Amino acid sequence: MSVAPAQPIRIGGRIRTAWNARSRQERLVYQLLLPVFGTVFVLATIPFILAVIQAVTSDSRGFIGLENFGRALGNPLLYESIKQTAIYAAIALPVEILGGLGIALLVHRSVRSNVIRAAIYIAAMIPIVIPQIAVGVVFRLVFAPDYGILNVLLGQTGPSQPLWLSSPYLAMIATATVDIWQWTPFVYLVVFAGFQTVPSESVEAAQVDGATTWTQFRHIELPYLRPLLLLVLFFRIADVVRVFDHVYVLTGGGPGTTTQFLSLYIYRIGFKFSDLGQASALAVVVMVVMIAFYTIVSRFLPADRG
Amino acid sequence: MTHRSRRLTKVATAVLLAAIAFVFAFPLFYLIATSLKTKADLFAPVPSLFPPAPTIDPYTSVLFARGFGGLLVNSIIVGLSSTFLAICIAFAICYPITRLPASPRVRAFVLNWALSLRFLPPVAVVIPYFAVIRAIGLYNQLPALILVYTIFNLPLAIWMLRGFLDEIPIEIEEAALVDGASRWYAFRTILLPLSRTAILAVVIIVFAFDWAEFLFAFILTATPQAMTFPVGVQGLVTQFEIIWNDMAAGGVIAILIPLSLMLIARRHVMTGLTFGVIREK
Repeated sequence: MSVAPAQPIRIGGRIRTAWNARSRQERLVYQLLLPVFGTVFVLATIPFILAVIQAVTSDSRGFIGLENFGRALGNPLLYESIKQTAIYAAIALPVEILGGLGIALLVHRSVRSNVIRAAIYIAAMIPIVIPQIAVGVVFRLVFAPDYGILNVLLGQTGPSQPLWLSSPYLAMIATATVDIWQWTPFVYLVVFAGFQTVPSESVEAAQVDGATTWTQFRHIELPYLRPLLLLVLFFRIADVVRVFDHVYVLTGGGPGTTTQFLSLYIYRIGFKFSDLGQASALAVVVMVVMIAFYTIVSRFLPADRG
Repeated sequence: MTHRSRRLTKVATAVLLAAIAFVFAFPLFYLIATSLKTKADLFAPVPSLFPPAPTIDPYTSVLFARGFGGLLVNSIIVGLSSTFLAICIAFAICYPITRLPASPRVRAFVLNWALSLRFLPPVAVVIPYFAVIRAIGLYNQLPALILVYTIFNLPLAIWMLRGFLDEIPIEIEEAALVDGASRWYAFRTILLPLSRTAILAVVIIVFAFDWAEFLFAFILTATPQAMTFPVGVQGLVTQFEIIWNDMAAGGVIAILIPLSLMLIARRHVMTGLTFGVIREK
């Protein structure tokens, strides 16, 4: 390691040097950060600006004002897709959160062996890391008529078998089930990690005082889990708005528009109907709503903010 | 609680956990079973759970006859390039906010901005990108995917790396700086070797996310020249008459890579998925 020769310095000089070094370091922060962060910031923000420009202009007529926004927000199919997305979320999210919480409680209370805990940890990770498209493949094999294993197990292979992917209510249940299959383990892992942060002294003190299993959960453990459950809820809500891959390959948004969730709807406007003007207006609205959502929820996220 | 009822609870718990595991594992079992069936097995009046004559033909059919091997190569090129770019950029951004006296506001702004990207639905982002990428002639080209993947996996890389760098004590570097070493020298000989594990974890997780990405690739590519593997698999599922064993083999291949990567980096998967909120010790 190279060592600079020690320089004799006077006291006043030392203070001055320290101060200079500090401001030099602060300058270095910006010198390092600005070019790189600036570039990616621009590249990631550009789509928003471009979407606004695309939304208010037309190839043939130039500036057209808010016409595309009017068409986007006046389209009844938009509200239909928001409604279907909300139903999907209302089915999937409570089951995922309560199911994940329940399994975590069960394992935390009754599985003592570290080997089994580690095995469950790895098993729970498997559905999460499967690409969404492959999840679609997996559940084609579950729900498809004739070859699908679900109807085989139900003993329903005749002409009157339930069509999980092409009848309105069943398609909604099928797509939401896939979500539940993939993300309940995620909730489990987060909540289980949360249980490990509960100090054992508090739990033991409560048990000495004769707390029941329920009061122990409600008053000792739940306060530790609450920020994590909020985090899960926010991430899952953001994910529901993104839901695309597995629904696209399972139902394509059908039958009719029953599983045409928000992302599929925007895709359809932009790329099936090639109406990029209206799709851009939708993209702008969705980005604004999601950033507003993020701004609100980021205050509740347990991560440290810098 | 009596001894007997405690035993009963234990058995009931074990049965319940086994039942849950079965429900979760069964679809994957059927996927693997289907991927090993012959064409003839597919037309059995009642589909079998175990392939009567296991074969790897579906795999060779997908990779060679259907030419998905090329898509696999595309996926790997895109994944490796954008993972490399993302880790370099993440380092350039995380170094000043963890190693230098960056103001808390700058730090919070960078981290918040990164996390907020996680809340943007890809379909909203891809619409404006689609127009630009077509206009600059990058449509159906791998560089377009590399660019988009780098930007949108950067938040993950930044948050994970930030968490790791915060845990590496700064004192060793400071000692070197006091001894007159240059910043670059201290970075290269102290911080970089110390963050080897961190880099490996970030690389694995980001690559797995790149690998699994579908929507950007689906919209920004059109031919096997630039398509990624998930786009090919999508074609197997949505074609008019699905060939079950080929589709299942495609699914298994798509799963295999992220699954094995995640098993290697299992201690960091949850950190990645929750942006560092959950930390495995």
